[in-house]
Formats: sequence, C-alpha cells, structure tokens
Amino acid sequence: MQGKTLDLSLLGVVPFLAFALLFMLLPTAYLMLGAFQDAQGAFTLANVAGLFEPAVLEAYAISFKISLASTAIAGVLGFALAWATVLGRLPGWIRPTITTFSGVASNFAGVPLAFAFLATLGRMGLVTLLLRNCCGINIYATGFSILSFFGLTLSYLYFQIPLMLLIITPALDGLKTEWREACACLGGSSLQYWRLIAIPVLAPSLLGALLLLFANAFGAVATAYALTGSSLNIVPILLYAQIRGDVLHNPNLGYAMALGMIVITGLANAGYMLLRSRADRRLR
Amino acid sequence: MTHPKLHALALAALTLCAASGAFAQSEQLVAAAKAEGQLTVIALARSWCGYGPMIDAFKAKYGIKVNELNPDAGSGDEIEAIKANKDNKGPQAPDTIDVGLSFGPAAKAAGLIQPYKVSTWSTIPESAKDAEGFWYGDYYGVLAFQVNADMVKAPTDWSDLQKPEYKNAVALAGDPRASNQAIQGVYAAGLSSAGGDASKASAAGLKFFADLNKAGNFVPVIGKAASLAQGTTPVIISWDYNALADRDSLKGNPKVEVVVPKSGVVAGVYVQAISAYAPHPNAAKLWMEYLYSDEGQQALLNGYCHPIRFGDLIARNKFSKASLDKLPPAAGYAKAAFPTLDQQNAAKEVITKQWDAVVGATVK
Amino acid sequence: MSAARPAARPPQGVRASRWGAWLALALGSSYFLLPLLATFEFSLRMQRGVYSFEAYRIVLSDPLFQSTFSYSIVMALLTIVVGALLVVPTAYWVHLRLPRLRPLVEFITLLPLVIPAIVIVYGYLRMYNSSALIPLTGSATATDFLLMCSYVTLSLPYMYRAVDTGLRSIDVRTLTEAAEVLGASRYVILRSVIFPNIRAAILSGAFLTFAVVLGEFTMASLLDRPSFGPYLQLVGANRAYEPSALAVIAFLATWASMGLIQLFGRSAHTRPGPT
Repeated sequence: MQGKTLDLSLLGVVPFLAFALLFMLLPTAYLMLGAFQDAQGAFTLANVAGLFEPAVLEAYAISFKISLASTAIAGVLGFALAWATVLGRLPGWIRPTITTFSGVASNFAGVPLAFAFLATLGRMGLVTLLLRNCCGINIYATGFSILSFFGLTLSYLYFQIPLMLLIITPALDGLKTEWREACACLGGSSLQYWRLIAIPVLAPSLLGALLLLFANAFGAVATAYALTGSSLNIVPILLYAQIRGDVLHNPNLGYAMALGMIVITGLANAGYMLLRSRADRRLR
Repeated sequence: MTHPKLHALALAALTLCAASGAFAQSEQLVAAAKAEGQLTVIALARSWCGYGPMIDAFKAKYGIKVNELNPDAGSGDEIEAIKANKDNKGPQAPDTIDVGLSFGPAAKAAGLIQPYKVSTWSTIPESAKDAEGFWYGDYYGVLAFQVNADMVKAPTDWSDLQKPEYKNAVALAGDPRASNQAIQGVYAAGLSSAGGDASKASAAGLKFFADLNKAGNFVPVIGKAASLAQGTTPVIISWDYNALADRDSLKGNPKVEVVVPKSGVVAGVYVQAISAYAPHPNAAKLWMEYLYSDEGQQALLNGYCHPIRFGDLIARNKFSKASLDKLPPAAGYAKAAFPTLDQQNAAKEVITKQWDAVVGATVK
Repeated sequence: MSAARPAARPPQGVRASRWGAWLALALGSSYFLLPLLATFEFSLRMQRGVYSFEAYRIVLSDPLFQSTFSYSIVMALLTIVVGALLVVPTAYWVHLRLPRLRPLVEFITLLPLVIPAIVIVYGYLRMYNSSALIPLTGSATATDFLLMCSYVTLSLPYMYRAVDTGLRSIDVRTLTEAAEVLGASRYVILRSVIFPNIRAAILSGAFLTFAVVLGEFTMASLLDRPSFGPYLQLVGANRAYEPSALAVIAFLATWASMGLIQLFGRSAHTRPGPT
C-alpha cells in the first residue's frame, strides 16, 4: 500500500523532472563529460587538476567572497526595504511601484549597469563631479574607487537587493497582524516580537532567498566583465575565456570550471538544507 | 617562331577559354547560391570593418537572405558553434567564420572547415593563407591609440603613455587573458620598448603595463566608445579600424583622434573559412568570392580595414582616392610588423599566464 | 487590507516605524535612481555642448526596436504562463507530499544560475537540431518553442523560489484538507485555492521572469530569433549615446509592462486574499 501511494505521489513531479531533463540536464550532460575529456575526446583528469592551479583557485575565492558579500548586504538591505514596503504603513501606491521597479532592476545587469555606475561614481561620474564641485569632497582622495572589490559589490547590490525584496515580500505578507497584537498584549516589545516570533517564522524563507542570491551572484559575469574586466579574476570570466575567447580556447577546462561551480552551488544548497530543516523543526 | 600568328591565336584562345571558364563557373556558383537562398554568418559585428554595409550590398546584389548570428562572438565561440551545429541544417548553423590567424590551422586540424580557393587566390600573399586553401586572410589592421581629444592630448608613441598627464587614462579594448586585440596590444607595447626585438616583446610588454599600472595610468576597464566618450577611458589601445569606426559614430562629440604609434606597429590578420558542415556551401563560396573581389576589398577599405589584397589593388590603382584619404597616413603602416603564427602563440602563452601576476591589477 | 479599523492615533512605536519606513525608502530610492539619472544625463549629451533628445529620436525611430520589443514581450508572457503552470503544481506537490524530494528539486532549480547559457544553447543545438529525434530548429515556430523552453529554464530559479516562499506563508496543509473535505479535486484545489492565495508570490516570479526574458541575449542570438536582447547588443556594441538612451527607454518600457501585469494580476480575481 505504502509503495503504491509513493508511486502515485511521484507522478506529481514527473512533468517538472521531465522538463528539467529534456531542457537542462541532458543538453548540459556533455558538459559534465567534457570536463573529463581532453581535446581529442580521451578520458583525462587533467582538467579537474587544472582547477587547483593558483590562478583558478584564487578566482574561485574571489567569486565566493563577492557572492557572500553581496548576498549578506543585499539580504539585510533588501529585507529592510521589503519590511518598509509591506509593514511600514506607507501609502497604498508605494508597494506596487516598488515591486514593479524591483522587477526591472533585478535584471538590470551587465554592460548597462556597469556603465551606469561608471557614469555615477567613476572618476568622471555625475556624483563624483557634483561632490567635488559643490562641496569640495573628492571621494577618490579617500582611496575609494568604483573599480575595486567594493565598487563591484556595490554594483552587484543593484540587482541583488530587488531580488531579495521580491522573494521575501510574499513571506512578509504571511506575518499575521494578530501575532503582533498578541505579543503586544502579552507585554512583549518590538524587539522581542522580531526575535522570538517574526524571524523564526520567516527563517526558512529568508534562508531560501539568501541561497538564491548567492547562486545569482556566483553565476553573474557580465557586470564584472564590463566593470573590472581585465583585472578581477572571477570564475565565470575565466570560464568564458576558455570557452569563447579569441586566445586560450581550452573548452574542456572551461567545462571543468563550470562543474566546479555546480559543485559549490550543491554544497551551498546542502548547507541551506541543513539550516532550513533546523528552522522548520523549531517552528513545529 | 615557326608560326607566330598561330602561337598568338592559340594563346588568345586559351585566355578566352580560361576567362570564360571562370566566368561560367561564377555564374554557376551564383545560380547554386541563389537556389540555397540563405547564408548564415557569425561574429560579424556590423561596425567591424564595415561588415554592415557589406552584408547589405551582398543581399541586394544576389537576393540571398543573410542570418547574422551572435555579432558579439569571439573566435572560440565560432569554433564551438560549428561543433555544436554539426548535424543541424537550420539557420543556426554558421556557414562561414571570421577568426583570428591562429584559429585557422586549429580549425583545419579539427576538421571543421572545408577548402575553397577564390578566383583571386593568386593575389593573396603566401604568408596569409593556407597552401591547401582551408583558410585565407582577408584583412588586417594595426594597433592604434584612440584618444578623446577633448580630455587629453594625443600621444605619439607608446612611451608617451607613461607620462603623468595620462594618469587614469589608458585602457585596453579587451581582456588580455581572452582577447586577441588586447594581447596584441600588450605585445605591441613590448615591441616598442624592446626596440623591435620580437623575442623580448611579450616580457617587455608585460613590464610596460606593470609600470603603467604602478604609475596609476592604467585603467582596468575594457575600453569602448561609450567609456571613451564618458571619460573613464580617454585613451584606448585598439585596432585602427575599430578606432576609426568609433570616431565616425561619435561624430565629433567628443573629438576623437586616432594615432598610429611611431614604433611598435603590430598588424593583426583575420582569416576567413567555410564550415565543413555548412548547410549552404554555395552561398558561402559566393560570399567568399564577394569578399575577395575588387568590390569587396574596396568595401573593407571603406570600413577602415586594410584588405589583404591591398598591395595588388594599390599597384593597379583600384582604390577610390576618397577612401584612401580617410585612413591615417600610410607612412605609419610601412613599418608594420606581422607576427607569425609561432610568435603569436609564444606571446599568448606568456601574456595570458603572467598578466595577473606581473601587472598586479588583481582587484582586492 | 484586512477589516477596517477605527482611525485611532497610532501608538508611538508605530509612528516611529513609519518614519523608519520612509527613511529606508528614501535611501533605497537614491541608491537605485542615481545610476539611472547618470545614464539619462549621459544619453542627453549626444549633441556637442547641448542637452538634447537626439539619441532618443534615433532609437525610437528604428522599426527594429518595436518589432523586437513586441516579440520579446509575447515570449515573456508565454514563458510566465508556462513557467507558472510548471512550477506551481510541482512546488505544491513537493510541499505537501514529497518533502524528501525538496533538496533535489531546489538544487535543480538553482542550476540555471551557474550553468553558462551558452553551454545550454549549444546543448540544445546538439540535441534538437534538424537531424535529431526531435527536430526543433527547422522552422521558425519550432525554434520559438525551443527558445521559450530555454527561457522557462532560465527563469526557473526565480519562479520556483518565489512560489515556494509564497506557499510557505500560507497554511497549505489546512487549506488542502479543508478543500478535500468539501469534495474538491486536485485540479480544483490548485486552481481555486492555491493559485489565488499565492498570487503575490506568482506576481513576483512573473516580474523576475519578464525582466529575464526581455534582456536575454545568448539564446536568442544563437538560435537566430529576432528578440530584444540581440537588438540591444546590436545598438550598444560600438556606439556611445544610443545605448544609454536605449537602456533608459527599455527600463521605462519594461517597468510599464510590469505595471500592466500587476494591474491584470490584481483584477483577474475577485476573492480578497492577503494583499
């Protein structure tokens, strides 16, 4: 009996799995194979070994760092903005405006975004020149540069924050006002409400959103390439250099790098699963 | 001697035969190409060498539809596209490719291209083509400085770039770890500072950019027309044809000067080839005939690229004076160095591997 | 909004939170609007020395702009519908009956973010070319279908995460049991109970999908379809002012389209749910 129920239940995910198989997993399967082949098609572990060269390892490290930094900051700021939009008791037209704007901003990446930031905070940027001309402040004198890790993170936030906002807003909808009132009735402060009720309820959704942000930043390449192209070493840029470039063209190494990225994403997913199951348990 | 008249007659008849043979062949080719009805090209950006007007002219002349895939593609992309489309006869399979010099032999070795010798084959320099006709150079350009003249004074040579007036000003047009244009840029800088010694050029080039970076003159942004106009990269090292095309599109806002450096003039050849799996091989061959015809080579010159048959056509005075005048002074090109395949490969090895370490622009 | 409340003066804490909300909004707006302003300012500089809308005139008078933009809008709407139809039942099912499959399903939905699009499209060309079992590159319609599937794949992470979050915030189990007690079939439950209650989440996913499809370049270019992404690339490649104008126009047009989706999403159902 148990076996029968399980079988029928599994049918529910068949369309999804079939779609994923046909349009994502199988087409990229040869990528998995290609990571273990050399240019002539023979089996080799040389590409995987190539992943442990200092340049590549450093690229993974920087990719990891920038994904982490942008996710953490966007997580906090995006949550703050989402809170303001949903629970801030603002006029009714604010929420649809913010959510639609976030929709557009979430994909405003790549060359237009890099250019926008150069045009704002670059050496000849609008804000840079404005600050210099009106208030005598030269932000570049403080050691700031848009062409740096900090600058790149700043630009990543442009699509990370809206993503966080859009994902977490429905979860904030689920926070019933009755809970807040009940807490107040029992003499609880705002802080206690957030710490003991709201955050634990939101924890699984927050974790899910953060995982998505991390993977989103990890795979992003166009913005980094356009902003700090020839100086910053992140994995997707190296990957593209191997698969697409005019020069290096060792696609098998590129596939190995992509495989490495998939493994890291898998590990992040596993970590998230652990944290989320704990959060789910606390709620029961 | 015995029968001079007969001899002359025979010669005349032979020439007529050959000419009409070639003529008949090209008529056949045109008919076959028209029957195929379409041509798929890849990586031909419309503003690169004036490919836009060329494609339009080809379409108008023969009535063949042209599918332009991925104009942003790099040479590696084009090779991958052929491989991915081996069994595909749809409009996603590229018929022809336009790749960097070193990709020609590599594609031939991988069996991805088919041989074809255009009718003007004999006028293409030996060094720029494959003896068996698998790949053939089509145009070249030299590395030049593209300068936003409203912001900085135009430099005359590579050594000028190290001066303090070019602080936060100099950029490459690509990533030296992935882009042919950028690597040749580093090589050219090195050739200049190494006094023309090709064996020392790569190392000298890396050192040049290391110094440039230390002096604060190097901007690690990929230079484009937009960043030139906006002010982030007032000096870009790029192919002369790209620089001139940008100058035209900016229309004086800002004023752009294109300068061929006095020393370290490096030329880069790009080659054409027909895919071995081309769904429309006759259209592809017709396209090649067009590119290598006098008309096509003039069109390349209009796009500021030096066509590969430059020497031949200039000797026969075939170029329009107007188009020649629009190019930078010819004297600058006289000293152009054409790196051989071996030199290019050696430069690639050194520069791509050591860029991060030596230039140290790794952002923290 | 839920039941009407008497208009009493809100307590101190609530007023403070409203201040905080406005502050957060002000800071957020400046961060997001300044780069757009800078792009706009640059796009006005096409004519030397004066501000003008020359770049906009050039962009808007291009017939390709309208045709590619409309093509992409249609593809985006199709992608949203197919994506929602694929994801919502799956997420619902996993939530309700197959929690042990969740790690696998979530991992699959994350993959499109890290697998380069160019690898996916080369895979498509190998698998679905004109000589393969399922020839999808022969005709324009079939290629459009393939392109739509690729878009659904690319937007999977966002759609799934949004829907999953939405499902988390409603009590799926209770709602399902109540509906079952009333005799509703699976299909009716999904259509009349689940879909309306996660409307906000689906809308979020729809916005993200819409933006992804409109800006997507690699797939469309290599599958040779006339969508907006390749057009953006065409205009932006080697020009200075037109790409900035185009970026601003695309931003505003996409925003307006999303506004329309939002309106449609609001009016499409009459039962009041969580706003």
